[in-house]
Amino acid sequence: MSNSHLFLKSGFPRAPLQNGLGRYVCQLQRITLKFCKNNGSSRGMRDFIENHLLDFAKENPGIVVYVKPRRHRTPVLVGEYLNGEREWMSCRNSTQEEISKWIDLLKTQNGSSSSLRLRKMWHTEVPSIQGPWTPFLLRSPDAQGQAYPSAEASKPLETPQTATEKLIELFRQQQLEAGEEAHDVLNKKRAE
Amino acid sequence: MSFLRSAVGLLARAKLLEGSPTVQTRRHIKRWVSPTLRELAHRQKKLGPQKPERRAGFVEWNQRSELFAFGKRLGESFELSELQRAFTEKSFAEREEDRRRQLGIEESDLHMPHNSDLVEKGQHIARAYVEAFLQHQLPKVPNEGLQAIASFLLSTETLAHVSSHLGTKDLIQSTEYPPSAESLAKSLHAVIGALASSSGIERAFIFVRDFICTQLNQKDLLDVWTPQEPIQLLEKICQERKLGEAEPRLLGDCGKNTVLAAYQVGIYANRQLLGKGFGEDVKTATETAALDALQSIFDTRDNRRPFDFAIQLEPKTVRLG
Repeated sequence: MSNSHLFLKSGFPRAPLQNGLGRYVCQLQRITLKFCKNNGSSRGMRDFIENHLLDFAKENPGIVVYVKPRRHRTPVLVGEYLNGEREWMSCRNSTQEEISKWIDLLKTQNGSSSSLRLRKMWHTEVPSIQGPWTPFLLRSPDAQGQAYPSAEASKPLETPQTATEKLIELFRQQQLEAGEEAHDVLNKKRAE
Repeated sequence: MSFLRSAVGLLARAKLLEGSPTVQTRRHIKRWVSPTLRELAHRQKKLGPQKPERRAGFVEWNQRSELFAFGKRLGESFELSELQRAFTEKSFAEREEDRRRQLGIEESDLHMPHNSDLVEKGQHIARAYVEAFLQHQLPKVPNEGLQAIASFLLSTETLAHVSSHLGTKDLIQSTEYPPSAESLAKSLHAVIGALASSSGIERAFIFVRDFICTQLNQKDLLDVWTPQEPIQLLEKICQERKLGEAEPRLLGDCGKNTVLAAYQVGIYANRQLLGKGFGEDVKTATETAALDALQSIFDTRDNRRPFDFAIQLEPKTVRLG
């Protein structure tokens, strides 16, 4: 996330109104094409209106199309969505193909997608399927018949080797290395 | 003044032309822009926050096309006059009639149809279908629970949410804008009524299934309906369904007489574990265990089979009236 996105609205990818579950409803409800009749910057928009607009309206009877000529102003696309959002898009010097693509984009989204920062690429209503943790969750079967206080259960799980034990071990090793003779000598000394 | 300023500007330019090529120091934003904007902002602030403009009052608005597109968008065919009536509220119609009367229009032309009968019809259809749908999808839940879930689905908030996401907000003709939650919900009922009268009751049923029943998707049913006294209800249900006497037993406890005490209680009937729950004391643990047992008896757990939103209920099973 860059600094310019700090104040961008954020959200998760969601289908509004469980769209597509019962039936699919196109979320673009109306589109307004504003253009100038003689300015060069509106040329692509005029071409689009001349060549493609009727087909678009026939293919999408659920989208209301308004065409609004106005003098000496930049051509503009305004899409209004079912969730009340409104998207304004300048089409200055765009060709008719570009405008077709932008309109296709408006048709397939449910709000201005470029003005929403996605916090994650997925979303769930049920983040935990396990429920809250309790001391009884995933308990060992051994713990079932245990009588408390028990010496076994009271011991720490891991006890490090003490210095005395280490010394004894070292001594045993020395004995092994010295062989049986040394052992005998030591035993005699002890007997005395 | 302006003459003086332009003269000064000309002089400045003449000076620049004489000297070496430097950056032109001319204002490109006109001097009137800033004070005008400031004045406009000042006036706007003085007016205070304004209500949003009615979308239907814009130049680019055609009521007939909007109504046509509304039907097509939802994949339904409405009679436009009926749909127009569905969106006209009674209060609005009365106000309009008053206005016309004052203009001196004859009494015979005064009448403006409104949606109150369609609302009633739609309400009837929606309730009947939602109840039949729930009965079919949740066969093990008792009547009380089905009523609670149905009233959630048919509550004003849910219906207003659905209605506003279908784009009725701009189409409703009411005395206030934006329309209140009640009028949004009413208009949805009226649309259902209009659909039933223009393309048959079966289409209206499918409409209710697709837009109202789908609101149950991914909902925790325990949130929608929480039994107030789960232990008593469990006993009653066990008696009714002959599961045996429900008997809570302590499965485990931990940290007795401390702040972090936890108890786990299981509910048994006929030597079968129905459900288990935990809590900070035995009473709460028993209650949560009873809720858990009820959920497993009613088959309303989170991991139940998802609702089937593609079923075609036979119209016979939907009890109208």
